[in-house]
Amino acid sequence: MNTPLKALDEMIRLTSPFPESVTVKDWRATGRKVIGWFNPYIPEEIIHAAGMLPFEVTGNNEPVEMQGAEAHMHSNSCSKIRTCWQLQLDGKYNFLDGLVSSHMCDQDMRLFEVWAYYKKLPYMDGIYAPRKRDEEGVKLYLTDIEEFRDRLSQYLICRIPDQHIANSIKVYNRGRELMKQLYELRKRDRPPVTGAEAVEVSKAARRLPRERFNELMEQLLDEIQRTGREIKKTMRLMIIGNDLHNTNQIANLETLDAVVVADEMDVGIRYAWGQVDTQLPPMEALARYYVLGRPVDKHHWNSDGRLEFIGEMAEQYHVDGIISQMVRFCTYNGWDKFDLKKQMEKRGIPMLEIDLEYGHPAGAQVKIRAEAFMEMLESRAA
Amino acid sequence: MSTPTETTEQTGKKVMSNGKMLSIEEMLAGLKKATEAVKKQPGLMKSIVGYLDVVSTYVERIANAKKEGKWVASHGTQQPLEILEAMDVRGCFNEFWGVASDIVRLESVPEALSVSASTGTPTEVCSFFRNMDGLMHAGKWPRSDFFLYATSCCDNVKAFHTLGRRYNIPSFGLERSYFPYTEHWMEHWKNEYKRLIAFLEEQTGKKMDYDRLKETVRLSWRLTELHLEIDKLVAHVPCPLSPECFSGTLVAIRLLPGTQKGIDFLTQLRDELQERVNNGIGAVKNERFRVMWTSFTPFFDPTLMPFMQQKYGAVSVCDMLSHWRGDPKWMLDPDDPLGNLAYRTVLAPGNCQYSSGVDVAANLSDKARRFKVDGAIFNNNFGCKTGAGYGPIIKDELMREVSVPTLTLDCDVLDHTFVSRAEVESQMDSFFEMIETSKAYKERRKLNGATPAKHTNNGGI
Repeated sequence: MNTPLKALDEMIRLTSPFPESVTVKDWRATGRKVIGWFNPYIPEEIIHAAGMLPFEVTGNNEPVEMQGAEAHMHSNSCSKIRTCWQLQLDGKYNFLDGLVSSHMCDQDMRLFEVWAYYKKLPYMDGIYAPRKRDEEGVKLYLTDIEEFRDRLSQYLICRIPDQHIANSIKVYNRGRELMKQLYELRKRDRPPVTGAEAVEVSKAARRLPRERFNELMEQLLDEIQRTGREIKKTMRLMIIGNDLHNTNQIANLETLDAVVVADEMDVGIRYAWGQVDTQLPPMEALARYYVLGRPVDKHHWNSDGRLEFIGEMAEQYHVDGIISQMVRFCTYNGWDKFDLKKQMEKRGIPMLEIDLEYGHPAGAQVKIRAEAFMEMLESRAA
Repeated sequence: MSTPTETTEQTGKKVMSNGKMLSIEEMLAGLKKATEAVKKQPGLMKSIVGYLDVVSTYVERIANAKKEGKWVASHGTQQPLEILEAMDVRGCFNEFWGVASDIVRLESVPEALSVSASTGTPTEVCSFFRNMDGLMHAGKWPRSDFFLYATSCCDNVKAFHTLGRRYNIPSFGLERSYFPYTEHWMEHWKNEYKRLIAFLEEQTGKKMDYDRLKETVRLSWRLTELHLEIDKLVAHVPCPLSPECFSGTLVAIRLLPGTQKGIDFLTQLRDELQERVNNGIGAVKNERFRVMWTSFTPFFDPTLMPFMQQKYGAVSVCDMLSHWRGDPKWMLDPDDPLGNLAYRTVLAPGNCQYSSGVDVAANLSDKARRFKVDGAIFNNNFGCKTGAGYGPIIKDELMREVSVPTLTLDCDVLDHTFVSRAEVESQMDSFFEMIETSKAYKERRKLNGATPAKHTNNGGI
């Protein structure tokens, strides 16, 4: 058993209870607004520059029964959006003043639309997430985020100035830099944190005021350095596919003789990736970062780069095997599945494919498959 | 779902069985046979022959493309086919291919889906694409020079790039907004067509002939006018359109815009419908219910619409896929064919529903009023996330705005084995019984509380 990390414990305390945490309550008590966001094409910097708290709408570590949600979206929608809608129906997201989504995937937009139809919030907005990574895509996205900024300014009754956005970019860049440092430490033979802990850190980044998160992140890195914390497991795993906000799913895997050292999730390494260019005009810099500055993801039509990115990360982090988890009804991952498997085979990286419902704990069947996978990895190593 | 079987070929290699999957030659032969058969069948609309001829011509054009020096582009929704027509490129619409397969041989799609599953493609993505995946894997998809696709709402279009990568077929995607009806998005959409033309010029080595494009756009506008005329006729009570020709307008608009063939067919269909309206001929003798399909018509079971007509006197009067958004006067400037096309494609049937559910529901409510609809059926395609997301909004909005109830049928868009016919019939029994006793229905039919005469077999097709 490793010593708990005090900074991480504090992050968890501040983001509990989920979702209306002590931090959210304190924030709102001072009259400030909270804007929910739903996927990685929402530039949080603009919300932050408006003096509002950007808060990612997700599920968490407790599975949610979704029957109520299915009155408003059919059960062949992905379980992530049904989970989020159920939480709304249960009153858990009543603290939101607004919601911004992007058309990264149709299901995200459908959640947004159901929300707008059945429970309209004072501020609601949508942004297009280009499928092509090129200059046209940057132009398109820039126009959309300029309009988003205009509408948010109207809601605020105050223009969000460039200087505020430039400052927010710096704050968020610092957060990415610190999270990336943690990822670098996970390349060590004995990483300082488990995969479950790393995702908890990333979740906190998406739920706390970014300045506070950055402070805690600095403390966390310092604590790791001071204590020399090490996770002593034999096998190194990488998790790819849909976002897992229920970290128990990862923790369950890590009860085996394995530690998750890398991922390619939006809630993981992609969130820590790169920097927004501070030399450019702020809005253009944001557009370039969000369209071109991060690794290719599942929503891009041309996902060649995604498959390469996964392979490269697996090699850089010296992983023994990949767990590819797919939330049922995820169209994007569905269409990458065949070629992903082929490419990993070519690279000689074993992969276990798991289909699951978002937020639900890995059941006995998954555990058995994971154990068998581990045995296979062990025999390969031998 | 059917179970995939394995056979041993002469090589001794184990392969999936693919004897039921249709090749293009079999598709064409089947359509020609069907055309001959309907000529002899009494009680059908005359236009059914023209309808099947349009479909056969479409398939034949793809089959003969290479020897006629033309290219074939397999494509999804939102495509400006007038541009393709002007560049000697023949479209092969992947969704149509699955629908036509169900018309010709119902067993083809389930087998293609099994083959697709055997490659690792999840069964919960859309069957239009899984069918294509399975046929490509079996070497039975029409020879394609390139793939064309567009963002709409449907994320399955990613399949075009994926399959293109797998089979070495170049592809081009158009970025289209979820809600494209703004100035900057329309400008962008028009620019995307310029990029598409550049792609086609590169692939074919031919330059776009803009005079020819203006002509295909002009023909396409004529097709739209005919469609709108037909819509007005179909709205009559009793509805003059029988199930065998129900998809006539959709087929012409979605497969052959910019061609004289499409115009000739819709002219024939319009004239026949006018004649039937003039003579008071309806699809059934006793029209009891007027039905709107709020997602797609039951492609997975081509016998369902005639069955509904016969058993319940339920006439299909309109559907979402054949629907133009708002007032579709898209021919704004004859000298700006790309600008016109940009508008046409976002307003067009089969495209405009790729938008917000509220927008779609508003348009459907308007349609329900115009077509005097009594009930709606929403086919909830298992692989369709768009429908899964906005089906309930459409249902609630139709009830709120026009007091039209909706039956939601869980199904697969193409695979008849997904849901049992007995289950569908059972749900329909209850649905029509419920409508018949509803106040809104009685008010619409001016029954003043009286119970309508019990239905007897309508003797439909």
